[in-house]
Amino acid sequence: MPSWPALASQAFNGLALGSLLALVSSGLTIILGTLGVLNFAHGALFAVGAYAAFVMLQYTQSFLLAIAVGCGFMLVLGFLLERLIIRFFYGRPHEDQILVTYGIGIVLVECVRAVFGGNAQRVPTPSWGQGATQLGFLIYPTYRLQLIAIIATLLVGLYLVLYRTSMGLVVRAGIENPGMVGILGINLRRTFLLVFAIGVVAVGLAGMLYAPVVAVTPDMGANFMAQSFVVIVLGGLGSFPGAVVGGLIAGEIVSLTSAFNSSYSEVMLYALMALLLVLRPQGLFGSEGRV
Amino acid sequence: MSLLEVDRINTLYGDSHVLFDLSIRVEEGEVVALLGRNGAGKTTTLRSIMGVLAPKSGEIRLDGKPISGLAPSAIANMGVQLVPEERAIFGGLTVEENLRIAALTAPNAWSFERIYGVFPRLKERRKSLGRTLSGGEQQMLSIARALIRDARIILLDEPFEGLAPLIVRDLVNVAAGLAREGRTMIVVEQNVAAALSFATRVYGLNNGHVVFEGSSAELTANPDLARDFLGVGA
Amino acid sequence: MSIARSGGLRSHTPELAILVMLIAAPVVLPHLGFSIDLLTRVLNWGLIGLGFDILFGLAGLLSFGQAAFYGVGGFVTAYLLVSGTLTSVWLALAAGTISAGAFGLVVGWLAVRRIGIYFTMITLAFGQMAYFIENSPLSHYTGGENGIPGVPVPVLGFGEHAIRIGAGLPMYVLFAVIFFGAYVLARRIVRSPVGAILLAIKENTARVAMLGHNVPAYKLTAFVIAALYAGLAGGLLGSFQSYMPPDAFSLETSGQLVVQTIVGGANTLVGPLVGAAVWLWLRDNLQLIPGLSTLWKLVLGIAFIVLVVGLRRGICGEIIHWWTERRTLSARQAAEAVTETIEAGGAVKPALSRERDATLPLPSPATGDSDIALEACALARHYGGLKAVDGVSFKVRCGSIHAVIGPNGAGKSTLFKMLLDEVSPTSGHVLLFGSQVTGHGVSRTAQFGIAKSNQLNQLFPNLSVRKNLRIAALARRRGPLRIDLLRTADSLPEVEAQIDAIMALLDLAVRADTPAHILAYGEKRRLEIGMALATSPKVLLLDEPLAGMSPSERAATCALIRDIAQTCTIVIVEHDLDAIFGLAERITVLYEGRLLADGTADEIRGNQQVQDAYLGGLHAHEPA
Repeated sequence: MPSWPALASQAFNGLALGSLLALVSSGLTIILGTLGVLNFAHGALFAVGAYAAFVMLQYTQSFLLAIAVGCGFMLVLGFLLERLIIRFFYGRPHEDQILVTYGIGIVLVECVRAVFGGNAQRVPTPSWGQGATQLGFLIYPTYRLQLIAIIATLLVGLYLVLYRTSMGLVVRAGIENPGMVGILGINLRRTFLLVFAIGVVAVGLAGMLYAPVVAVTPDMGANFMAQSFVVIVLGGLGSFPGAVVGGLIAGEIVSLTSAFNSSYSEVMLYALMALLLVLRPQGLFGSEGRV
Repeated sequence: MSLLEVDRINTLYGDSHVLFDLSIRVEEGEVVALLGRNGAGKTTTLRSIMGVLAPKSGEIRLDGKPISGLAPSAIANMGVQLVPEERAIFGGLTVEENLRIAALTAPNAWSFERIYGVFPRLKERRKSLGRTLSGGEQQMLSIARALIRDARIILLDEPFEGLAPLIVRDLVNVAAGLAREGRTMIVVEQNVAAALSFATRVYGLNNGHVVFEGSSAELTANPDLARDFLGVGA
Repeated sequence: MSIARSGGLRSHTPELAILVMLIAAPVVLPHLGFSIDLLTRVLNWGLIGLGFDILFGLAGLLSFGQAAFYGVGGFVTAYLLVSGTLTSVWLALAAGTISAGAFGLVVGWLAVRRIGIYFTMITLAFGQMAYFIENSPLSHYTGGENGIPGVPVPVLGFGEHAIRIGAGLPMYVLFAVIFFGAYVLARRIVRSPVGAILLAIKENTARVAMLGHNVPAYKLTAFVIAALYAGLAGGLLGSFQSYMPPDAFSLETSGQLVVQTIVGGANTLVGPLVGAAVWLWLRDNLQLIPGLSTLWKLVLGIAFIVLVVGLRRGICGEIIHWWTERRTLSARQAAEAVTETIEAGGAVKPALSRERDATLPLPSPATGDSDIALEACALARHYGGLKAVDGVSFKVRCGSIHAVIGPNGAGKSTLFKMLLDEVSPTSGHVLLFGSQVTGHGVSRTAQFGIAKSNQLNQLFPNLSVRKNLRIAALARRRGPLRIDLLRTADSLPEVEAQIDAIMALLDLAVRADTPAHILAYGEKRRLEIGMALATSPKVLLLDEPLAGMSPSERAATCALIRDIAQTCTIVIVEHDLDAIFGLAERITVLYEGRLLADGTADEIRGNQQVQDAYLGGLHAHEPA
């Protein structure tokens, strides 16, 4: 039985990992819910985000500026992918959408590898995130606490975009009944473009924010993508609240399990998903949406 | 020039041929009823006008300009508005959000107050989610979404289907009021008496063909005229 | 019989081609940069690919978790050998393969219930789960990140005559022999009734279920077959490189298999092998070129995207397409010309000799204990507050044509779906010859003997007329599930006789080999009815059989329905009331979800309430 401080520390780790998974999965789930496309390039885009932070940091020397420029880069990348490839796949079978996004993922990862090589890169922790913070009976790395706060803010921002703006209104209506949205005079093409780009920025941001915590490699996104699939199955496909809650649950499961026996931490996550598929296949938050 | 002209369209649903050289026209300020047994092609006609189904041949013109082949969103922004049979309320959006999304691309959108003046019931329920509305309220909201866009021509598909008689009476009153104000409408309805109470002209459809054209008064005075496209047995 | 049955040397051309290729490869390909070891490795990928192609190419199920079964097969085999539990490589291979199949059964049981992206995500997640299980909790057995070194090679024979199959050419020969056997087996599976049904599932899953096949069970069968192939390949991998690597389990492995299959061509069986050759050749040869060493996978990725966007068939698919197109182009053009003639003329060909009803191998009018074939008992279906159908009861007399009519929104289609158990009633039930069918689901209902032809055609568009009918005819002859992998789909004489009889009845015999999507509309409608009929139903439900037909087609179809009525009971929903009054002995009228009237055609015609319902409140006088 682990000690209480160790358990609390793992709970914080779970929160950090969970919020990160929530951000990654939100990007995945709003693209899936609105466009009906399961984006298999999501993991690659996570890595691209991390490398964007790495490069920009070398030019700007400021973490915040690097992230701002990196977001711009992800936005443009999102626009390009949607216009050049993704939009031709809205009418195609799911299998084709999966295959083409998987192909995009391979190309992105290999481009990164071609430019930066396969070795791990280090992204330094920002100056304002150095050191550790005293939290009652435990000491916790400051940057991870900030990470939780930053991502929470981002998720609230995403919530406001989805629930408090006209675009969000169109997105939510479009998830329910895209045909009727068209009948009401709204051209969904622009919305689709925006949603895809927002999803790409969300996952890219997650990669940038996480870069100082881990080794940055071209393949770093693959496991995050697999975990975010578990998260959206957990939360219900296409559900934004589901992605957030599912992300937090997944993060805590992985971290708390490893407090007891680290070799089972990932296994537990997938076992939970198997269980949920049997008991509640539509996920925690309601319907299967349009898929 | 008529406001809307449907000129010899042929429309297929899947690979089944539903409309055969069907032609109708609607003048500004007119309410036209499309009557016929189910399967006659009434709903398909409305969906063809809205652009939800593209006619295989023939042309649909609004103010003389061809609109067939355009996307529904483009046709909607020219002032045509379908109120579909299944109502298609966004269940996860509130009443007010349903209205807001409808008004989004309308240049002369009505104010909420004006809509609530027509449907006071919707004001009481403006914070409720669409999926919690009763059938009658959903139908009101569906019509309200067309009105708030200030559509030039409203296509009502079975607006009274499955509603209690009292609610049908209320909705007929609303429709009659709109007709008096000169709003152009096409109505498809099984409840022929209700439709004729505010329609000015009638097309009778059978198996995808127009088999009757005349005024509402004519049909009300002489119901036998409707036998071959509505009645049972020849 | 109208066409030659399969058989003879010609139908084995693919096997011969593979055999020649396997023999020629080690002679020819080394000059092109393929070492013998590389060829052996290609065969290993090709072996998993055979199973994966049955799952993805044939049945349309895209799995991203095949690495799990590859890994299980490999590690079970390697562990049994290295730990000394088993000394025979062959036995260990069998154990590994079976373990992979068993794991496939568990994962598949969970996965096949879900469709589309759900299926893909679940398989991917289980693949990851297997990877982490190998890596940590079981690392004591599997070596974790180190894998299992020292896996022995197979031995042929016993005692002093035993031959160790060493690296290089002997190993290639072993892999080639196994691959060839596996290929022959895979081809038999594809050509078996199970293969035919799996292909139909890819084309139109809902229709396969409606015909009475147990769709999840067939999907699971394909899943387990794929797992077994993967397990065998995994087991061989350890022996081949005398080391079982943990990355057999990785997501990368599953992804590589998918890419290779698309590049080589899905639904060709040999496609994954060709894709693997391309992948491994690029990797080994581009790496030798300075400056390009890191780019080989980028090149592959771009090629893959181009293939998915444009050339959907992949390398082998394009070759096979070009080959068959050359042979069948004229036949297809002729078929299309016939379709144009029919559609332009608007008239069906005059019905041929109609002395066929007596010879149909359809069941004679079923005579159960009662003369009531089908009975609806207080059927109701409520959607929230909406009562689509509200307590409707009626009886259908055996051998009769019974119509259900009513104005729009009366609840006819919901009622029809409840008769078939496509929609389960909120309350009430349906009896077929006195036994309850409600609550069993649409496939079981079809097996009980209720078939339906749909309002919108639900055909298998890329299959020929004969194959469309075969999927239907196989359903009740074989039951909901039979795993007869080794017989050919067209080897059941009574099924073929049934198909021929139905094609004669429907005037479709000359179109037997025409793909359904090329048929004229009227022919598609007839095929739609024919599919329902081919299941030899006791009760046939016809949902708007005349929809979209021209007047002459309507007359012909009505005559056809009368013919069919001599062999089975018919319930019909149709808007064309003139046709109904000419056909039906008894008519049930629904109005706003309730039963309004039930009687003979004359009674209904004279019923004032029915008139009022149809005239929608427009006051109607009796005609003078």
